[in-house]
Amino acid sequence: MEILSPEKIVDGFKVALGDGFIDSKIYQKEVAVKKNIFTSIWIHVKREAFRKAVEHICELQEYPHLAIISPSDRGDDVELIYHFTIYYGHHLQELSLGLRVDVPKSDLKIPTITDIIPGALFTERETQEMMGVEVVGIPDNRRLFLPDDFPEGIYPWRKDETGPEDMLRVLPGRQQKWQQVKE
Amino acid sequence: MAASKGIERYTIPVGPIHPALKEPIRLDLGIDGEEIVDVDVIVGQVHRGIEWLGMNRNNPVQNIYIAERVCGICNICHPFAYIMAVEQAAGITPPERAEYIRTIIAEMERIHSHLLWAGVAAHEIGFDTVFYLVWRVREEIMDLIEYVTGNRVTKAMFQIGGVRRDITEEQFPRIRKSLDYYKSILNQLKTVFLDDRMIQMRTRNVGVLKAEDALKFLAVGPTARASGVTKDVRQDQAYGAYADMDIRAITPDVLTGTIIGDVYDRIIVRLLEVKQSIEIIEQCLDKMPSGTILVEPKIAKLLAMLKKAEGEGVGRAEAPRGEVIHYVRLEAERETLAAWKIRAPTYTNLMSIPTILKGGQIADVPIAFGSIDPCMSCTNRAIVVDRKTNKKSMLTYEELHELSIEKTRRLKAEFDR
Amino acid sequence: MSLNSFKRALWLYHINAGSCNGCDIEILATLTPRYDVERFGIVLVGSPRHADVLAVTGPVPRQMVSRLKRVYEQIPDPKVVLQVGSCGMEGGVFHESYNLVGPVDQIIPVDVYVPGCPPRPEAIIEGVVKAWVKLEKAAEQRIT
Repeated sequence: MEILSPEKIVDGFKVALGDGFIDSKIYQKEVAVKKNIFTSIWIHVKREAFRKAVEHICELQEYPHLAIISPSDRGDDVELIYHFTIYYGHHLQELSLGLRVDVPKSDLKIPTITDIIPGALFTERETQEMMGVEVVGIPDNRRLFLPDDFPEGIYPWRKDETGPEDMLRVLPGRQQKWQQVKE
Repeated sequence: MAASKGIERYTIPVGPIHPALKEPIRLDLGIDGEEIVDVDVIVGQVHRGIEWLGMNRNNPVQNIYIAERVCGICNICHPFAYIMAVEQAAGITPPERAEYIRTIIAEMERIHSHLLWAGVAAHEIGFDTVFYLVWRVREEIMDLIEYVTGNRVTKAMFQIGGVRRDITEEQFPRIRKSLDYYKSILNQLKTVFLDDRMIQMRTRNVGVLKAEDALKFLAVGPTARASGVTKDVRQDQAYGAYADMDIRAITPDVLTGTIIGDVYDRIIVRLLEVKQSIEIIEQCLDKMPSGTILVEPKIAKLLAMLKKAEGEGVGRAEAPRGEVIHYVRLEAERETLAAWKIRAPTYTNLMSIPTILKGGQIADVPIAFGSIDPCMSCTNRAIVVDRKTNKKSMLTYEELHELSIEKTRRLKAEFDR
Repeated sequence: MSLNSFKRALWLYHINAGSCNGCDIEILATLTPRYDVERFGIVLVGSPRHADVLAVTGPVPRQMVSRLKRVYEQIPDPKVVLQVGSCGMEGGVFHESYNLVGPVDQIIPVDVYVPGCPPRPEAIIEGVVKAWVKLEKAAEQRIT
């Protein structure tokens, strides 16, 4: 396996994805006394090119590590970032690779990647229940963390009307603070 | 437990109340006689909605303390990853001295956590003497943590842009004294755990996870390293004072020459990592740079700075159980975090559990499950199901623990003969 | 039954109701050689049916409510509930959440509170001693 520089990795994505590639960002910072470099790469892709991008990451390293999917509510869209790490096992060579894909709220669907990375199952289940993004083709459709009697249509991480505001329980002797923050 | 008649299979639910693990999780084990054929992990019993709190109630500084309480055992690596993410998002570079202090505290935590695990693992196979021995030994590091940070468990050392407390020259001798104590007893611990025939019989070839499965199911930390995957954030990525050192991931072959990926290998990795942590702390003490420990000591100013900041960051740290990752996004004019996602190591290690338990015996469940050092508060009990009748029989932890102890006794009797 | 009915060892059952582990490991630390409450016969038992004292940690998430109630009901009388940690008392850092049903005393009756996040082993021992006194009083009342 050849270790590519961050720029080359970005170029590789551009070639592999073509139109599906939107944007990229390379973040580097020096750490501690010896000023070794910490690197993270952010790659923004279209939903159509998303699976291809994951397959491309698998070409960079046979078993890329998928740390987590971090979904966030950005108004009209839900932004999903797949946090990969590649080149682990090599001293200070590892890269954090954030694969960003936007899903419009009118069509909250994303294809599963469990056929490529079997370990992605937990985080896909979590994304479904917490953000309400349907993962198409997911082999296990159950909830992960939320209880079975948790109401349908409420997604704790949303910031719109489907958020968990109605379910909030302010413990006795405490002030409700989140509304103040909101105002 | 119902005895299997003919070809019947049962499902035995274990948990969610599970005293030795101290945390609720449920495993549904499909069994055929004594053999486990199917495993389902059910989590979520301790879901507290921490990320929601960080995004809606707390400001970034308050979040450090919430991050500490994601898990009471690894309450350093969560804030560590969290502050790194915030620093990256806000463009803050912590002073060098702070990086070294952070590393020292993180390694102290690793020593305490690995010893804690070693004790619990001994308890799972019925060796309570060893459990008490290890926990007595562990009190030394707890004292040291209290000496350095002011508290035994939650350390509250971290601040965005540095650390809250300095480690001064006068404190070094006391720290070295504790480290010397651990160096002197390490060989004894190794003999207790690795040379004991009973421990070998209970852990060798039990709960095997092959390197390929570890990679597929995204295993992290000692679970992955015991399977021969050289993956350690401290080695792979530049963060903290680790970036200045030559740290190599520890795999069990350094001691035995082979990698099996069983429970025994996981014991080896953790014991060797205690030694590694001692060495890292010593190196940090030797090379500690001078200077300030905090970029902005005034919290009001720091908060104003963070309120203006716009950006995102990802922080990754090696917890005693594996990689912790925090993702943070800051938006200008927003007092709370715009996005916060936490991934604890047990989250991904749980996916390897079916592979680890399948083909094993029910009596091996406590030790095999315990061998990944599951931390449910970070992530969340076990069920066993008989397939033939689809009857669910509850196996309390006590019965399960009894089974495990019985197996040790049986093996011992065989061995003595 | 006489007052002497409680002249025996105190057995403790511990349930984690969504705690972060901080209190849990301190409870375990009180049992191990440094603090060693086992010398007074205080042991952690694996089944609520054997216990005199129920130690509860954590702010009680939704999934744990029925389990907490069930464990409480399984403990034979006289019993005492020892609630360990700030978050079970009033939410602590977790107050205000969509998945919490606590505090503990709104789900089951609590006799002794041990505040702290996490409390030190010494504090937990003091809590256990108070629980013991209360159990003896409960045993006394039963005879009169």
